[in-house]
Amino acid sequence: MAEKSQKKSPLSDVKGHIGALSTGFKYLIDPHRITLDYPAEVMELPSNYRGFFRLIDEKCIGCSLCEIVCPSNAIVMTQLPVAQPAQDATRPPPKFKKRPLVDWGMCIFCYFCVDVCPTEAFEPSQVHDISYFKESDYRPTFDAFLKLPESPFKGSKKVVPKVDEKKGIRYEEKVNKN
Amino acid sequence: MMDFLNLIPVTWLPLLESVFYALVFPGFIAILLLAFFIIWFERKAAARVQMRYGPLWVSKRTGGIAQLLADMIRFSFQEFIVPEGADLIPFVFLPGFLLAFSVLPTLFIPIGPYYSHIFPAGYTLLLSVAFTLVIPVYLVVLGWAADNKFSFIGALREAYLLISYEVPFILAIASAFLLYGTLNLVEVVTIQERSLPGIILNPVAALVFLIAVIRATGRGPYDIVEADSELVFGPYVEYSSLMFGFVMGVPYIELYSYSLLFSVLFLGGWAPITGVGFLGGLIIPGIVTFVKAVIVMCALVFLRGVYPRYKLDKAVRAGWSWVFYLALIALLLSAFMSRVL
Amino acid sequence: MTQEIKTIPFTYEALSQLKMSEGVLELQIGPAHAGSGHMRIVAWVEGDTVVKVDPDIGFVHRGVEKLSEDRIYIKAIPMVERPSLVDTVNANLGYVMALERLLGIEPPPRAQYIRVITAEISRIMSHLYGIAIYGIFMGSSTVFMWAMADREPFIDLLQELTGARITYSHIIPGGVRWDLPKDFAENAEIALKYLENRTKDYEKVWINNPVVVARSMGVGKLSAEGAIRLGVVGPNLRASGVKYDIRKEEPYAAYEEFDFEVPTFKEGDSYSRLLQRVEEIKQSIHIIRQALKRLPDGKIIYEDYYKRMSPLMKKIYDEKGRVKFTLMLTSLSPPKGEAVSRVEGGRGEMFYYLVSDGGKAPYRFRVVTPSFRNLPFFTHVMPGHKLADIPVIYGRIDYFPPRPIDDGLFEPDPRYLVAPS
Repeated sequence: MAEKSQKKSPLSDVKGHIGALSTGFKYLIDPHRITLDYPAEVMELPSNYRGFFRLIDEKCIGCSLCEIVCPSNAIVMTQLPVAQPAQDATRPPPKFKKRPLVDWGMCIFCYFCVDVCPTEAFEPSQVHDISYFKESDYRPTFDAFLKLPESPFKGSKKVVPKVDEKKGIRYEEKVNKN
Repeated sequence: MMDFLNLIPVTWLPLLESVFYALVFPGFIAILLLAFFIIWFERKAAARVQMRYGPLWVSKRTGGIAQLLADMIRFSFQEFIVPEGADLIPFVFLPGFLLAFSVLPTLFIPIGPYYSHIFPAGYTLLLSVAFTLVIPVYLVVLGWAADNKFSFIGALREAYLLISYEVPFILAIASAFLLYGTLNLVEVVTIQERSLPGIILNPVAALVFLIAVIRATGRGPYDIVEADSELVFGPYVEYSSLMFGFVMGVPYIELYSYSLLFSVLFLGGWAPITGVGFLGGLIIPGIVTFVKAVIVMCALVFLRGVYPRYKLDKAVRAGWSWVFYLALIALLLSAFMSRVL
Repeated sequence: MTQEIKTIPFTYEALSQLKMSEGVLELQIGPAHAGSGHMRIVAWVEGDTVVKVDPDIGFVHRGVEKLSEDRIYIKAIPMVERPSLVDTVNANLGYVMALERLLGIEPPPRAQYIRVITAEISRIMSHLYGIAIYGIFMGSSTVFMWAMADREPFIDLLQELTGARITYSHIIPGGVRWDLPKDFAENAEIALKYLENRTKDYEKVWINNPVVVARSMGVGKLSAEGAIRLGVVGPNLRASGVKYDIRKEEPYAAYEEFDFEVPTFKEGDSYSRLLQRVEEIKQSIHIIRQALKRLPDGKIIYEDYYKRMSPLMKKIYDEKGRVKFTLMLTSLSPPKGEAVSRVEGGRGEMFYYLVSDGGKAPYRFRVVTPSFRNLPFFTHVMPGHKLADIPVIYGRIDYFPPRPIDDGLFEPDPRYLVAPS
């Protein structure tokens, strides 16, 4: 459809000015603010939010698929020593196991690794706003990688954003059941 | 307070009152406090329209009003950088001149009927308007002094706009003069007390005056000189540290002078209140005038949240076409109304 | 001012010997400038009139094409999304479509519908972003804040679906990764109704604002023939009167089952481009509503890939609607050949060309982004306008910095050039 944008007459100019000013004034009286008082108020993210994750050591089989599929080459498989297991008659016990280590500075949280793991050995969480002081902290040790990350804003008020048709985004406080 | 005043020799009284007028209210200290308020108000008003909070963090319980103080403290710790090719004396000293000249018109605008005891009140309208017209010339020199292509273009824009919008401004003042028949601002308010406020007598002149004020201070759709997205901040781009605070505050002080003039000329000044003596003749009517001026300022800075920026050639053309015609209509309307008054 | 001019070819050698007349100021509207985005615009101005504009691109060149030659096919999915951050789903979709054509597979219908829904939401977000930067370039931060705030309900919608805010990596060869949650349809309806309510406010404050009309009507006019000759794509092309939309010309991903119009405008100036984007947002809302109503049931991943999943993966798919990657996806080796896919992104046509030599990584991967195609238009239309029109025209092309450099030969506007002596 070809529409012509009309040449506006001076009268529609005045109408335009009045319309713009009155709308601005309406918002001056009744603003629909959507700013969050972060970090005193923290948004509650949905349960499938892609945040930091941890490894479940018992489930991992060291297949290295996560290293192969990571788009930013953030996962590196490292060899770790294994405590001597019970002897199996048919084969010698392994002395080393391969486990992934993530460099959080390179990770883009695409969750390809979580989705490719055949044993579901990664456990995700919704924590995303962790920062480190030293650059070497971006590469945690294996024991740190086995623990779920803690949100740095535990004591903040949790809010849930809801979209209202007239007023836009409203924040409701999430009632903590426990 | 009256006893205190009785202790002072009578000959000193006008001098002290002049000093009070110039330094405290509505002079320098009132202007500084007002600058805090109006800059905060502009940011808050723009923020409310834009669905956010504006300055809040600095003093949470009072709505962030100490934001400008925090900014000034931060500016005073920055290094003042002078560019290598800049002309040193205009670059360093002109902001101070700008500040001084933007405060000067307030000396000639009466805020109470007691004014005539302090300053000779014969030609106050002419004097205050004359002092407001000096400022843009300094701005052009400022733009040249910074040795930066963007500030040079900004200075040229200011020169174009100055020439095209001062003519309607002077015509609006002339129509006010024609309407009241006197250049004495105290008599102007007396005439408005008798009849109606100037904005009802000659609304066209008030509109042209307001448009010229918006242009002169660079608010709302006319911040062409300091256009953010084309010339990064125009003539002021090379300033840092406290000078930056100065040049940012100067348009607001100019806005205050113009608004004070507007409230005396068109809104009736201290119209319902009148009195005698220092307190009843100056302070209380002064507060009424001051509040009217502040309301005008708040309305003008609110425009920032609603309008984008005009283009230079369209603005210059508008200044010579429809704003000029409106000013001529204002002149005719004044001539007609002065017969009635 | 006007002198005899010979038209010269617009090549680097010819232009570097050009001399400008006296009184022409060379301005570097550089990358660290409030009105230039992340590229440099070198503008020659005489007084207030622009004589020549030379956009200097490449500041954010990341080498996606070369990097992908070294990585397996599936690793390129997040890479392809990053260059155009406001419109990620369409970029993702284009690459995966090319890959699927090489592999010779087709996703099931439910996956196609989900792809259409996310692509249209992404288009709405891209148009809102375009309106926002148009506002800030003209000096009104109000519309900037409003349009960015109005993207939030849609970001929240897709966050419920995929778990990320902007770079979803949702589309993989064979289908999509996550299924729609239970309350997606009602949340989407609330968000769409909210946007329709806000359109009235936008009309009053922005579209009918006399200052906006004065600044953008008649500025940057481009006729239909000029648009076709310069190779302009996307909403800029349709605002000049050419009715060309890839979703209608070569329909992909279930678009032929939907009923929508392609709006065009006659004038081709900046104001029509603004109105064009508002109209396209309305059409996108219409498409999303149709898709949500007629969503088919079924799998969201290609049947063959589902059969290869282990029992644990099938259990996770049935319970949570999340697709686990089989070993096959990490070792895709399409047969030898080449494939082309064209996708209508928010800014125009995105073009993908994949050549495979049977190995694990592509032999050659070529992307042409729409912002790059719109660049000659910017260079061609600027001379003769005022300096203040640079942000207006540049902001209205709705630009996002492109990647490799291309060579173009065309006749420059001969009004202000001095013949080389």
